[in-house]
Amino acid sequence: MARRLSYMRAINEALAQEMERDPKVVAIGIDVRQSPFGQTVGLVDKFGRDRVIDTPICEEVFTTAAMGMAMTGMRPVVELLHSEFTYIPMNPLGVEAAQQHYVTGGKVKFPLTAYTLVGTFGGLPASHSQSPESSFMPFPGLKIIVPSTPYDAKGLLISAIRDDNLTMCFFHKLLLRMEDEVPEEEYTVPLGKAATRREGKHVTVVATLLMVHKALKAAELLSQEGIEIEVIDVRSLAPLDEETILESIRKTGRVVTVEESRLRCGVGAEISAIVAEKAFDYLDGPPQRVAAPMLPVGGSPIYKESYVPNERDIVAAVKRAMD
Amino acid sequence: MKLEKEQLITLYRHMVRVRKLDETITHALYTGTLPGFYHPQIGQEAVGVGACSFLRKDDYLFYTHRGHGIGKVLPKGVEPRRILAEHYGRASGCCGGLSGFHTADMSLGIPGISGTIGPEFVLSAGFGYAAKMRGQGQIVMCIQGEGATGRGTFHEGMLMSANWKLPVVWVIENNLYMVTTPVSELYPKENFADLAFGYGIPSEIVDGQDVLCVYEAVQKAIDRARAGDGPSLIECKTYRIPPHALGLPDIKTAKPRPQDEIEPWKKRDPILLFGEKLLREGILTEVFIDQIDREATAEMEEANRFAMASPNPSPEILDTALYAA
Repeated sequence: MARRLSYMRAINEALAQEMERDPKVVAIGIDVRQSPFGQTVGLVDKFGRDRVIDTPICEEVFTTAAMGMAMTGMRPVVELLHSEFTYIPMNPLGVEAAQQHYVTGGKVKFPLTAYTLVGTFGGLPASHSQSPESSFMPFPGLKIIVPSTPYDAKGLLISAIRDDNLTMCFFHKLLLRMEDEVPEEEYTVPLGKAATRREGKHVTVVATLLMVHKALKAAELLSQEGIEIEVIDVRSLAPLDEETILESIRKTGRVVTVEESRLRCGVGAEISAIVAEKAFDYLDGPPQRVAAPMLPVGGSPIYKESYVPNERDIVAAVKRAMD
Repeated sequence: MKLEKEQLITLYRHMVRVRKLDETITHALYTGTLPGFYHPQIGQEAVGVGACSFLRKDDYLFYTHRGHGIGKVLPKGVEPRRILAEHYGRASGCCGGLSGFHTADMSLGIPGISGTIGPEFVLSAGFGYAAKMRGQGQIVMCIQGEGATGRGTFHEGMLMSANWKLPVVWVIENNLYMVTTPVSELYPKENFADLAFGYGIPSEIVDGQDVLCVYEAVQKAIDRARAGDGPSLIECKTYRIPPHALGLPDIKTAKPRPQDEIEPWKKRDPILLFGEKLLREGILTEVFIDQIDREATAEMEEANRFAMASPNPSPEILDTALYAA
């Protein structure tokens, strides 16, 4: 039996193997030597303090410093602990690092990887619980990955580190302890390639991160009623694997998108628009979106039920799509 | 500025109240009755209590995430029952149960905090500017951890407050740790008070375990600010005894700190130190100390009962909560 590893350890192993393979890879961020959430645990013992760099609390500054390293040919991996901390360096990441290769006519490269943890966890409220991945989709020049399994977390992160462009990696807090089979050796999962997690003929459900697992649960429930959904795990938001999604819709004629980002201008909005533009003739009904509501994540129990989409929301959306 | 007997007892009482509230939150978290997480502050009570016990009601206060601000907002006048109810997500909480754990009460000059550390430095400049224009002697008390000074906003806030002579009192609560990293690994120099020098802001370093030292230094700064003489910075040297946060995911990979580093700080407990001093001076008796302890315990027990018995917010408020009417 293949070795099993948690999502968190898979991230950690990808970092360790890339640092071993390429001395230009460094990890930088707040508390990366001690690593309270575990992604970088042990790296400082293996690779030393010069390559595992603790910084003061200044995301915009250490991200920009990492950009400087990247422009000289180093391959920094930046940790932005909680997902909201990606908004702080949004200018250096989205405006500078993502676009500078283009505007310098290809003179500079940004082999830079930045990762964060998204999603609600326990009682963490409005400023430590968001899923901002869709907020980065409008920046040209930026790659975005959203791995939903330990296998993909490792393979996509290695691809991101080896890529010569800025890649933002959005990992999910509630997947950190998920275990699955993960090969010990290095491997890559290609950026920009979706995965079909379950085949079905009635409705295509396109999901990200934790919502892939909730969609698979919804698939079980729907299957008991004779409804077979096809579950597509997007894996990369940019580039987006349009073809896998469109091909599925040409078969099913119906689409539901599921994400933990907010509804407005979310992943589902983009995919629905692409589907409407490129597969309108195949559609038997309007696309349905399942997403977080247009509200801050709150601390009160009343939110716990209503904020994060669940299997029931997905089942209901599938049924709306089939109406 | 020498404190009367009653004021000294107030300082002592507030520290005990803050400690009891901290213990109440921690206990509720560990027994599973409280959702969420908490950044404990036990051992750091003297900073907030020394700085905030004698503020005016209309003075503004920015606090840190440590203790979710209890060391600062309790002496400023926020009722513990409303802090606890907010932690439980109840409608009777100070933010109607919507915030998770924030304390905001504009009638007490407390605008709440950010989850991303650092905006408070420049917000304080904005509040200070408004206070200065209003001309009623209000001041802004901005208490931030030493880790927050890594942000550019610290320097930008210093610059604006010095340049515009704003009535801001900067208090840096230096507990020597930024999450799990010792501050000595992140800053080239030991004293944060030195950073004020470049902006022409007077500064002072005090023993953050001694509530009177904190009070005296801060009061001088408050007097300067009220008189229109501009900002000052006080660095309080303290130590974070508990872990950074309780109730976070169970993936603890950080190495524990050496016990011989923690023990000497435990001996310098601010409540213990001040209690002994007041006993020596005959201001408090053992019996009185016991009574203060029991009263604070009873207050927090009542507050906890109130919070747990309070209803959740009605789901309908979600329809109107997002925009100001």
